[in-house]
Amino acid sequence: MAQEYLLLDIILWFSIYLIVALSLNIEYGYAGIPNFGRALAVLIGAIAVGGVVNRILILLLGIEGRGIIETSGTLKSTVNAMISQNPLLGLGILVLCLLIAALMGAVTGALFILPSAKLRQDYLAITLLAISEVLFLVSNYNTSIIGGYYGVSIPDVLAFVPGERRFLAFALLGVGIALLVYLFVERLLTSPYGRLLKAMRENEDVVKAFGKNILVLRIKTVALGSAIAAIAGAFYSLYSVNVIASTFFRVDWTFFPFLMLLLGGMGNNRGVVLGVFSFVIVKVLLIVYKFEIKSTLHLPFEATWLEYILFGVLMLLILYYKPDGLIKEKPVTMTPPIKHALKQKAKETSGR
Amino acid sequence: MAVLEGAIVYSNLLVLLSIGLTITYITTGVPNFAQGSMAIFGSFVSLSLWLLFNIHPYYSLPVSFILGGGLGIAIYTLVLKPMIRKEAMVVTLMIATLAVDLILLGVLGAYSDTLAGITSKGTKKFIFTPMDFKLAGLDAILVVSSAVILLILFALFLLLYKTKFGIALRASMENPALAEIMGVNVEYTRLFSWFLSGSLAAVAGSLLPFRQEIVPATGAIIIVSIFAASIVGGLGSIYGALIGGYIIGMSESLITFYLSKPLGPSILLYSKVVSLIVLIIALIVSPKGIAGLDIWRKMTWRRSTSS
Repeated sequence: MAQEYLLLDIILWFSIYLIVALSLNIEYGYAGIPNFGRALAVLIGAIAVGGVVNRILILLLGIEGRGIIETSGTLKSTVNAMISQNPLLGLGILVLCLLIAALMGAVTGALFILPSAKLRQDYLAITLLAISEVLFLVSNYNTSIIGGYYGVSIPDVLAFVPGERRFLAFALLGVGIALLVYLFVERLLTSPYGRLLKAMRENEDVVKAFGKNILVLRIKTVALGSAIAAIAGAFYSLYSVNVIASTFFRVDWTFFPFLMLLLGGMGNNRGVVLGVFSFVIVKVLLIVYKFEIKSTLHLPFEATWLEYILFGVLMLLILYYKPDGLIKEKPVTMTPPIKHALKQKAKETSGR
Repeated sequence: MAVLEGAIVYSNLLVLLSIGLTITYITTGVPNFAQGSMAIFGSFVSLSLWLLFNIHPYYSLPVSFILGGGLGIAIYTLVLKPMIRKEAMVVTLMIATLAVDLILLGVLGAYSDTLAGITSKGTKKFIFTPMDFKLAGLDAILVVSSAVILLILFALFLLLYKTKFGIALRASMENPALAEIMGVNVEYTRLFSWFLSGSLAAVAGSLLPFRQEIVPATGAIIIVSIFAASIVGGLGSIYGALIGGYIIGMSESLITFYLSKPLGPSILLYSKVVSLIVLIIALIVSPKGIAGLDIWRKMTWRRSTSS
């Protein structure tokens, strides 16, 4: 039982972090935009669920109560009872949550990147980090958005699944969403758009010379990346059936995705999968054996601090010894257009 | 009046931090995300000296200064220098400082738990305000932090403009390649800048608990204000850091205070929003900060032509 639990935990975190890391790979790995504010989009996904969908449901069902924290508790029990009778309702809410999260993520992402019109890379990274950090503080202290550090309750969209199967169902759902995102991202980035992003990363002036508007390209890219990251935030909230603002800390949702990305290798999605997988195994084992580690090593402090030190050192080692990551990015190879045309013609003539 | 005093104290500390951030940016070209945690390191130095040896935080300032400087040098030589040698990109170096920040957070958190175990006192959060006293009718922290600022500015001025090392330092800040040709060892200036940055941060950190509660993660929160101060002033200028520190420190404290009168005390939580707004306005109006405004160049130009 314990091992099964461990495996499901790894699968679930792998799915969530894979979505976030893929979104960062589009922005940083492909387009070279140093988004040090990744955590913001994930938080927006959580706000979409805890702040927006919750309020829509409260309005629709006419639930009364004082403040979002208390009302969401009542909402949760009412909606859970409804979902356990009617699975379609649960799936409907799930899809609604993910859609609203993606939409809100895209809008925030598009606004969030606007300072890049005027800023160099390092200034941009600082500004994005500052924006993300400040909005994190606001949603953490202001309890009327998503309950701040008290948190709000979220209906269990899989309430129709019997209790002992719930974890398995969520793990499968997570893998499904992550797989869809992976296929979508892979398809998107092997298109001319993906090559355009790589060109922008290598040399902006060349892209400009070819008549592309850099700012529009950046806005599109970050809107897309943020939409995907917001989906991860929404799914995470639905799984944990509550939203607590303080869990969207910069370390977990900006630093760790960067670590996974650099560990696996930027600019290629297979590398990202490997990076996320290795990271999640270490992280879940550290969380699960937290108390064992503390007692065997006779640590006079919490094992969380050890985790921070460990991942910080790991990041430095990767940056210094293996800046390309485990799987190195391959150069884009394409058949030149003329050869492609000839081949096409040969096919046509042989077919006739 | 108390609000204004608090604002001045906070601004003084912010100036120390942003001068440190700016000087390492000038010499090594990397914005240091660990600056906030370097300050909290100083807070813990003072806390330990107080709890273990009963030394008042004001007297522990020299110790903080030296240990903080050591930390700065360690970060530079162990982490950044090898990467700069390998010609790492700026973003890579920035990620490296984020990693250093996380390591510092882990070390400080672990140390805080350990210290709590040794002294059997709660050190998860701490504040020094009850230890403060009155000096000539003013809070001692106001006098001490202002004195520290004046002393450091005076020393910096002497060093930069009256010594040979200062000339070499300024030369290598302006143009490292040219300075190297002229026989200046740029490495020394980088080491010095990291020592100074670490020591100023630690001193600011030792004094910060007189104004706000400290937890190991406080560094991650104050970093927003430090960057805002440095960028508003212009990341490339020490004077800019001085002006930017006061602009951000004052606006964070005073704007939220005056808004809290009509809007209620809950607005006080939004002080960091103020610094973000000031930062964004500054970036739109003048991306190079106040020190990068054209007015200064025109003024100096006029002065040089009229003389």
